[in-house]
Parts: sequence; C-alpha cells; structure tokens
Amino acid sequence: MTVNYLKKAQEGDIKSIEQICMATWEPLYRFIYFKVQNREEAEDITQETYVKTLTYLQEHNISVQDFPCFMKTVALNVLRDRWRQKKRRGVPVNFDEINPQETVNLEQDQQIAITQRMQIENALARLNAKQRTVLDLRIIKGYSVAETAKLVGKTEAAVRTAQYRALQALAKVLDSND
Amino acid sequence: MNNPENRLSDYIDDLNAEHEPKKNRGIADTPELEKLLQTARLVRTLREPALPNSGYPQKLAKAIATEIQKNKFTDGQQTINPNIKRDNPNRETTAGRPRRKWALPPVAALAAGILLLAVLASWTGLFNRDVVYAMEKAVAQLSNYHGVLEMRSQNAAGEEWMIRRVELWSEGEKYAVRLDDGTLTVNNGEQKWQVRPQSKEVALLPLVPDPTRHGFDLRDEAKRAKQYPHTVAGSDIVAGRKATKLEILPPGGLAYYLWVDIETNLPIQLQTAMQNALQTTYTFVSFEPNTKIDFQIFAYQPPEGYKLVDKDPGQLVATVEEAAVISSLTPLPPKEAPDRIFAFKDRIVLDYGDTTIVETKAQGAFEPVANSALGTAAGGPLEIWWERLRWRQNGIEIKVEGLRRLELARQIAADLTLPDTGANMVNKAQVKVPVDMEITSASQQQVDRGSSPWQLDPLQVSLTFVNLKVTPEGISGEPEMPMSSFKLVTNNGAEAVVEVANGPVKQVYLQRLVRQDETGIWSVVGYDPR
Repeated sequence: MTVNYLKKAQEGDIKSIEQICMATWEPLYRFIYFKVQNREEAEDITQETYVKTLTYLQEHNISVQDFPCFMKTVALNVLRDRWRQKKRRGVPVNFDEINPQETVNLEQDQQIAITQRMQIENALARLNAKQRTVLDLRIIKGYSVAETAKLVGKTEAAVRTAQYRALQALAKVLDSND
Repeated sequence: MNNPENRLSDYIDDLNAEHEPKKNRGIADTPELEKLLQTARLVRTLREPALPNSGYPQKLAKAIATEIQKNKFTDGQQTINPNIKRDNPNRETTAGRPRRKWALPPVAALAAGILLLAVLASWTGLFNRDVVYAMEKAVAQLSNYHGVLEMRSQNAAGEEWMIRRVELWSEGEKYAVRLDDGTLTVNNGEQKWQVRPQSKEVALLPLVPDPTRHGFDLRDEAKRAKQYPHTVAGSDIVAGRKATKLEILPPGGLAYYLWVDIETNLPIQLQTAMQNALQTTYTFVSFEPNTKIDFQIFAYQPPEGYKLVDKDPGQLVATVEEAAVISSLTPLPPKEAPDRIFAFKDRIVLDYGDTTIVETKAQGAFEPVANSALGTAAGGPLEIWWERLRWRQNGIEIKVEGLRRLELARQIAADLTLPDTGANMVNKAQVKVPVDMEITSASQQQVDRGSSPWQLDPLQVSLTFVNLKVTPEGISGEPEMPMSSFKLVTNNGAEAVVEVANGPVKQVYLQRLVRQDETGIWSVVGYDPR
C-alpha cells in the first residue's frame, strides 16, 4: 500500500479505498470478529474503523508507519465506545475489559490469543463430558436448541438448563485460573 | 421467555445466526448473566470466524467512500477524533441491515459509474478468457522457474507470522530447494542429495519415490483449481503483481483461495481454509517463470570439508537380474521395461517417469489402510489408496504409484480387478438407517479440520454404531464389541460393507455421502440384524 493510495483514499477516491480494503480488510475483520463473535457486528465495526481511520488521518494530515496496527487500535476504541453506549442503554456487555490506554502490539496480541485459546481449552477439559458436549454442540458447532436436544436425547428445556450450568461451571474454572 | 436460561440461549442463537444480539435479548441485568454471555463469546473464539460474502472488500470500499463523502458534506470543518463515535443512523453498512440506507452521493455515483464502465469494457476479456483455462495452459508451457516462496500462518485473531521462506529452482524433472537455514535439497534426475551447512554434511538420498515433489506445486494447484468448482472473487496485488483471486470450493469442504498472476497466468499465492483457527498462505514473493537458470545449482558438487552421509541411496543398475542379486529378491517386473532400475539392500525400485514401482519382501499379514478401497489382485486383496495400488504376489509386496499405475500393475497381476462402484451394495441392507445430511456435512467439516479422524475409517464407524446399539446409553471404557469382531468385506471407495462376528448386528452398510475420496467420512446407512 503506497502513501499515494492512502492520500487519495482519505479524499474519498473509491479506487484507492478499494486497493486499501483489499490489502487490509481481512486481518482487521478477523481481529474484530474475535471480539464480537458475529458477522453482522464485525462487518459494521470494520466499516466504521476504516471511515474513522481515513477521516482522522486526513484531518490531522499525518501518515502512519504501521497502518494495520493503527487501524486495530481505532477498532478497539470503536468497540469500547459501543460498549459504553450499550451500558447507557442498560446492556452491559463487556468486551473483554478493553483498556482505554491499550494500543495494539502485534506480537503481544498473538501471544495473548494463543494463551487465551489454551486457557479456554484447558478449562473445557475440566468440565464433565455432558457439559462439554452441550457447549460443543451449541456454541462451537452451532446447532440449534432443537437439534442439540435431538442429538443428546433430552428436551429443549433441559438443553437450555444444561448449557446455562455448563457456562456457569466454565466461568468458575476460568475465574479460578485468573 | 424472560428467565436467564432463555436469555442466554437466545444470545447464543443470535451469535450462531451471525447477528448482533438483539437489544432485548442482550440485556444482562445481573452481573452473573453478563459473565455467562462473555463466557459464551469466549468459547465461541474456538471456532472459525464467519467471513463475509465474496465481493465484500469492494462493497466495503463503496460504503466507506460514501461515508467519507457524506462526512465532508455534513461536518464541514469539524474535527474528528477516532476515539469519539459519531452516531449516524443512516450510515451505510456492508452488513446490509434495513435500518440503514444505501444512498450514493453524486461523487460516489460518478465513481461507481466509471467503475461500471471499466467492468463493461473488460467484460469480453473476463468471460471469454477463463482464468483457470489460461492458467492450465501457462503451467503446461512452463519450462522452468526460479522463485522465493514464503509460508505464513494466520490465527483466528487475525495475527500473522512467517513459518518458512524457501528459494526454489525448477526445470523439468530437476529441482532444488533452499531453506532459510541454508539446507539445500537437489534432485537432478540422476541423483538426489541434501547439503546441510549446520552439520557440514552432504546426505545422499534415494532418488525415487520422491515425496519432496508434492509440496506447493504449480502444476498440482492448476489441476485442482480446474477439478473443483471455482469462481473469480476479485483482484489483488500480490507481491507487487496484479493477480486474479479465485475462490475454490472442494465438494463438502471449505473454500480456499488461489491468486493467479494476470501477466503470466501462473498461480502465485495460495491461501488454505482456516482449519483449527489456523490458516496458511503460500506466496511467491519473487517469481521468474521461463528464465535462465544457472545449471550449477543442479550439479553435484559437495562443498569442501563436508562429511558424506550415505544411507543406502540405492544404486542404478542396468537389468532387473542385477537388481535381484543386490536386493536378494525375485522381482516381478511388468512387461514394459522401466526407464531406470534402482537396487537397494531390501528393495527394487522401477522408475517409469510418471509412475514408480517398489517391490519388497512381504512380511507379516497384509493389512490394507483402514480407509482404502479394496479390489483384488493375484488372488488376494488389493489396496487402493490415493494414487497408489498395493498388493502381494509370490511373497513380494508390490506398490505402484503414479499416473499409469493401473496399466503397469495389470502387466504384473493380469487378474487385477478394481472395486465395482456401480454395485449398489447398500440397497441390500434389511434395515435402512436415516441420515441427517446437515449433521453429516458438519461432521465432514469437523474431520477436515483434523478432529474425529475415526469417521474416515469404516471399521471404526461400524464399531461405534454397533456398540451404541448394544449399550444405547453410550460407550464408556472398552466397547462391548471389540474391534476384532469387525471385518471389512467390501469397500469400493463410495460404499462399504462391514461384517460383525457376533452381537445383534450381522452386517453394517456404509456410504461416503459427502465426498467419495480418501478424505470423505463414512456414514452408516443400513444394517442386517442377526
């Protein structure tokens, strides 16, 4: 991505924006998806991040050495703002306690993601087989309550209770690791 | 529907549907529920992210351009801080929710018009010159190449790191590969060796068969792209080259991407599907096709002071008789004479260029790979596994691998028969077992990710099925019906029948419902009760 592209993109040149998007969208989108865990919101925040980044760079007439890192920092800020808004509306969904001072360090970020994955896998291993199965089917494989009920031979209400208790148990294990 | 269990369940449903959890469902009025929503999201990070539909970057670019233009008109000179969110309910979005409008301001409309004209102008070129066809032609005409290939991995969080960087030289059958640490592997068609600077060694390696060849290979990629359904997913700049991005979708599998250089029509980048939260991208960061290669690279010149390591690399002999003396075997050669014969202490290798035959002394019982299809040869079983045939004849184990495997194998075992794919064996099942294709497809993708590989083995699938019939509450500890009770009777690659020695089931009928090759999982479709 050249400085030229960036300059033109800041002015709203669609071809330059397209070049930048094609070169950078996927790592940014994955980074956001990792936090929000749904496509609709991830697409929305990805777009908002680009608009904010390009507008900010234009108005401050600066160029950044590491564009992807800068965008991820902006994305974190967008996520934090959304969290604050939801909180005001009574929806306190905490996006992994984003630190306002947090900036993105790629190596550190990668290490955190790997450590987090290991922690979750270890915590899951400490649940009993039934708890693991319900979380696997419902959250990892994405089956509906009805499908899960059919697969494990239980009622839909029992599946809802089981997943609630399994997540309670998992949260407890994760807390004890902290 | 207001209790916490239902709220949590609805929240999970929203995430599974890839929607932003609806406000009335996402309300976590107790810290405990808030914690559980967060834990659900954490668990979900273990699965692969849902990527946007194809054409997303273009759609995204349009929406961003519109937003930037709109901000210019509405904000005037107002300073924007990236830390402050601006609420704009009419903001354009690629997520396409109805509450936001897709309205193009004049400048963006003009830009979109120009873009449309450009697409229309290249319309004929785009569709008459199929990218894959052009790539296949370019690969066929490729005489040699030199390049630097980078392998990078990316995790589900979007972080990327480099695994390896190799320099490659290829000319016909000759090739050389140099790793980052200086290790150089060369096959010049007459010899294969490896120069290891770290241990100051030169190792002579067996010339054939040569698994090193089957890495990221331009020819293989072109072949696969042609074989599987593919669509053009846009264009990109890869290592400074303009490239067409192809989305390739193996049946029942996950899509992966291949970038084809617009100038040379050769593949220059491959990105695998995200499996187990990891994805690998192979990129030719430099690539010179049909170039002048320094032939010194293919010359066997051990550096001075290096130790020679020779682990029976075999010797080239002129006749099969000569090979028989060296290997102490009585070989069974096909009628057609090989291009080259290699004799080792315990085996003979016949090289036909596109096909290799390896003959060794048969030892122990013949056990076909669990997932292989079965035919017959020399009165016994014939294992059919990917591009390899294996059977036993006169105390010799014969492996034939490569393009002309069947033709050459039949010259050794005239009675060789392949499994009958039209036999429709499973129709004979007395009891039919209904299969949920949605669950089967999900299981196939799970196996593609490397989980539950037992589903690739018809014996293991039968064992699970029968034991669940014996103990419906689930298998705990050793299964009631052990593996020794199960025997594969037939397997034609698409259908299989397994015989059970005792218990309530006599025969199990299985089918590969998603994909009929070695990567396809088996499902029980019927059985005969005892």
